[in-house]
Amino acid sequence: MRNWITVARWHLVQPLLWLAVPWAVVALNLAVNVLDRAISRPGPSGGQTGSVATIFIIFLLFGVLSMVRSLPFALAMGISRRSYYGGTLLLAVSVALVDGLLLAILQAVERATGGWGVYLRFFRVEYLLQGPWYLTWLTSFVVLTLIFVYGMWFGLVHRRWNVTGLLGFVIGQVVLAAIVVQFVDLHTGWSGVGSFFTAVTVSGTTGLAAVVALVLIAGGYAVIRRASV
Amino acid sequence: MTAAISVVGVSRRHRDHLALDAVSLQVEAGSITGLLGRNGAGKTTLMRIIAAQDFASAGEVRVMGADPVEDDAVLRRIVLVREDQIYPRYVRVWQLLRMASWCYPNWSQELAETLLRDFDLPAGRRVERLSRGMRSALGIVIGLAARTEVTLFDEPYAGLDAVARDRFYDRLLTEYTERPRAMILSTHLIDEIAGLLERVVVLHRGRVVLDAPTDDLRGSASIVSGPALAVDQFVAGRRTWDRRRIGSQASAIVVGPVTEVDAARARSLRLEVEALTLQQVVVRTAAERDASAEERTSA
Repeated sequence: MRNWITVARWHLVQPLLWLAVPWAVVALNLAVNVLDRAISRPGPSGGQTGSVATIFIIFLLFGVLSMVRSLPFALAMGISRRSYYGGTLLLAVSVALVDGLLLAILQAVERATGGWGVYLRFFRVEYLLQGPWYLTWLTSFVVLTLIFVYGMWFGLVHRRWNVTGLLGFVIGQVVLAAIVVQFVDLHTGWSGVGSFFTAVTVSGTTGLAAVVALVLIAGGYAVIRRASV
Repeated sequence: MTAAISVVGVSRRHRDHLALDAVSLQVEAGSITGLLGRNGAGKTTLMRIIAAQDFASAGEVRVMGADPVEDDAVLRRIVLVREDQIYPRYVRVWQLLRMASWCYPNWSQELAETLLRDFDLPAGRRVERLSRGMRSALGIVIGLAARTEVTLFDEPYAGLDAVARDRFYDRLLTEYTERPRAMILSTHLIDEIAGLLERVVVLHRGRVVLDAPTDDLRGSASIVSGPALAVDQFVAGRRTWDRRRIGSQASAIVVGPVTEVDAARARSLRLEVEALTLQQVVVRTAAERDASAEERTSA
């Protein structure tokens, strides 16, 4: 555990990168959106931007970088793969918890101010981030963690099986997606998928995402154990 | 006493390429070993395996008596900053040193700062913006300041200018004298550090072709030159490596020590006798061993 904390501190040696950069990007994005709507003055309908996705994309990059750039130096400094993995996840999960809460708070502010005074729906995302604050917190936290771990996988596959492995990893996912699409087309149809997600509700979807994240975390551990740098 | 580093029959296979072929090596605590060999001989691979950055396909590695793989307690006693080290993105030199300081219980910040000044390293600069020589210097700073029992230097000289090389030599000697540790230095520039090395290990195509104390190698061969007839007379009955003749002048490398009597005889024959440098001895010995090993395998 002591080693995990060392690794978590390690990443925070650049506190701005982890803590401020995502929010700086979000703030800039929000400002542009608010300004845009303040000038064009649209009505209360619409206002969905999807721009909040930027923070999730940044988490993906953090995941990739943690394994591509920081892992080799960690191993050079006598940190075991196990400690590095544990410490990196510890930090990512903690930051996701805090950032998730911030997203929930900002969503509440957005509701209270009538969408920042311009009917903007920046932090309210159809279906996924719409419910009460605690559900937004939970869903953001789980999805941020999942995306970080997914990013880590790209880095891990690259570390362990090089570019060939990475290519296989990407192609594998494309093939899998194609199979799923085919399957849905032939059998249930897309309305079935829609009603499935409506039926399980956001909490159910969040639970599913959490399960996927846990599976990826366990699998990632198996991959990093034999990764060389 | 167990060796600080013990490598027994270690091989490393990458698909159809054998990077290391049954390498065995013992390094005692408080000794400096030079790991020599041409590019691609397997020097870095061997050091990576000792530091558990890579895995052996066969064989056994013990550091301070234990398998270093995934053992934090052992890993904390090893440092290996590679010549091609990948550093975290956007990190500045001073931040990197802080990161290193959290990992090593014996870390000396004072030493790290002194070395930064010695090598004129800009503490505020991003590591990815450092020149090749500066990156080498950074590796040296971390390697020495970590004060680990097992210190591995991979091509520490790469890109360093003469002044910086001299400082490295100097600092290494001071540090080592104050706190002896098991050190392995991989390098091409043997003669510059010949005074430091207690032992020389030469790798060639993944195999150890030479492993000998430096004292045994030093003065183990000399080059004799002068009039051809005199050279022939002098080397008669001795083992020679290389004989050359240009007109009436000739030179030959004689293997074995040159005694006082030999030297006197050479003077009377108007011959010049000069001991080979460690670098020359290593290159020749390694070439000989490799050739004889290949004869054996092809026979």
